[in-house]
Amino acid sequence: MGLFCLVFALLFLGGIFGNIIYKAYPAFFRTEIATQVGQTELLNPHAPYHAHEKRAWITASDDVDMYYKHNHVGKLSSQTIQLIESLRKQGQIRLVFNGAFFTHSDSREPELAGIWGGLVGSILTLIVTFLIAFPLGVGTAIYLEEFAPKNRFTHWIEANINNLSAVPSILFGLLGLVLFIHFMGLPRPSALVGGLTLSLMSLPVIVVSTRAALSIVPSTLKEAALGLGATPLQVLFHHVVPTALPGIMTGVILSLARALGETAPLLMIGMVAFIGTPPSSFLDPTTVLPVQIFNWSRSPEMGFVENTSGAIVILLFVLALLNGCAVLIRKKFEM
Amino acid sequence: MSYKMNIQKLNLFYGDKQALFEINLDLPTCQTTALIGPSGCGKSSLLRCLNRMNDVVPSAHIQGHVLLDGKDIYAPSIDVVELRTHVGMVFQKPNPFPRSIYENVAYGPRIHRLFKSKIELDEIVEKNLMRAGLFQEVKDRLTHPATRLSGGQQQRLCIARAIAVNPEVILMDEPCSALDPIATAKVEELIDELRAKFTIVIVTHNLQQAARVSQQTAFFHSGHLVEAGETGALFTTPRDERTQGYITGRYG
Repeated sequence: MGLFCLVFALLFLGGIFGNIIYKAYPAFFRTEIATQVGQTELLNPHAPYHAHEKRAWITASDDVDMYYKHNHVGKLSSQTIQLIESLRKQGQIRLVFNGAFFTHSDSREPELAGIWGGLVGSILTLIVTFLIAFPLGVGTAIYLEEFAPKNRFTHWIEANINNLSAVPSILFGLLGLVLFIHFMGLPRPSALVGGLTLSLMSLPVIVVSTRAALSIVPSTLKEAALGLGATPLQVLFHHVVPTALPGIMTGVILSLARALGETAPLLMIGMVAFIGTPPSSFLDPTTVLPVQIFNWSRSPEMGFVENTSGAIVILLFVLALLNGCAVLIRKKFEM
Repeated sequence: MSYKMNIQKLNLFYGDKQALFEINLDLPTCQTTALIGPSGCGKSSLLRCLNRMNDVVPSAHIQGHVLLDGKDIYAPSIDVVELRTHVGMVFQKPNPFPRSIYENVAYGPRIHRLFKSKIELDEIVEKNLMRAGLFQEVKDRLTHPATRLSGGQQQRLCIARAIAVNPEVILMDEPCSALDPIATAKVEELIDELRAKFTIVIVTHNLQQAARVSQQTAFFHSGHLVEAGETGALFTTPRDERTQGYITGRYG
């Protein structure tokens, strides 16, 4: 029975991934059309080689792209379709790897839009989240687990942290909106505000998982070090934290992975805007991958459907990479 | 006879519950004192008072005095960390650090900066492994994780680790209870050798062991020190009825 359920679940999972990848696959290719350049005699003889070619390959519009890939007629007139067919016969139209999808930022034209801006934004946002949530969360956990007196006040704090980790993420978005934008006046759709908001969301999760990792460090280990005359701080940093580190890192990475895929709180703080250039600092207008996916999914053009699936595949890939890191760290530190 | 430590009118409380009542006991220098008694009689609690390991239990507090070389270790001016370098401890279950054999022994000297060069540290490690009778067995794998040693070897490693910081007193809390008879024999032999340099206090449930390794024995019962004296005398001619009952196996 259990096996049946497992197979059933795996089938669904395989179905979802299969569908996403099937939809996303064309996004990594684009249609190009050869145009006559001629006039090479006007170019200076030292011009790059490709400039001397008689034709240049130019990216086709998304409507042509859709017709060439999927025979989707859409708004194309019958004359245009005839033109495309004749180009096809002459070998003047081709499908190439869509490098622009990785190097371009968002665009109104699906054939020119790429994930670069979203990817850079995600990385910058995640850096802010990590820099704030990691030291603060691990520090809080160490204090609560190792040093805090066990009284009603610390119990109350503990209960609240546990509850916070179950609060819907959009509420953290509201908090971020009020705290960072209205109250502190930080620039609106920036990686800084996004990272701060996501770190609010990640903090309780990191505290809870770090405390769990610290609490399973055997007390005999602490006693051994104390018995040798180690100070409480030495016990902590020489023995307790290193022993708990795999667990701590796993918790931190998994919470960062969750932050990476988070959309709702970022929409709340206005990161939903169209951003055509990748951010160059933490204060620049920024978009992130999941928000990019959300934006594309609302666009009517056929080309954006592909882009949406493509970006989902990239996001899943980055998430798998992060989770893989967590597994590796766990394996490496296990004695 | 000179005494390394003196326990004077010691009362120990865990919250409202009193665990030790008016204990008076002197520990002779360079001799082994065995603490025996039924489970829950307070012998381990007393041991943990001697290097203030009870400090980590928030509800624990004491009255009375414990003197080390005539100085009260519960005086406010005493540095607990420094005290524990004078009074080392070996625990019931072998608890090596999850590091290499070398690092286990080197840890104490490292945190107390007892060496000037790497060569000196190598010597300290070698000397103490030798003193613990472990060097011959592990000399080719000093960099291996200590957790892969057998239980008996781990316990001797813990002893090597404890003596590497040059303590004067070693407290042992049932050091052989997790070991097989052969490993136990080795540790007992070791205790006997270590007596030349260290004052040893050992808590044990094994009366034969107490008789074999100790010169002085103290019998505890429900938080009270019933009687203490020279080991041979205590086992052959106990003064108290309860001691008599315990060592003849009527209860325990």
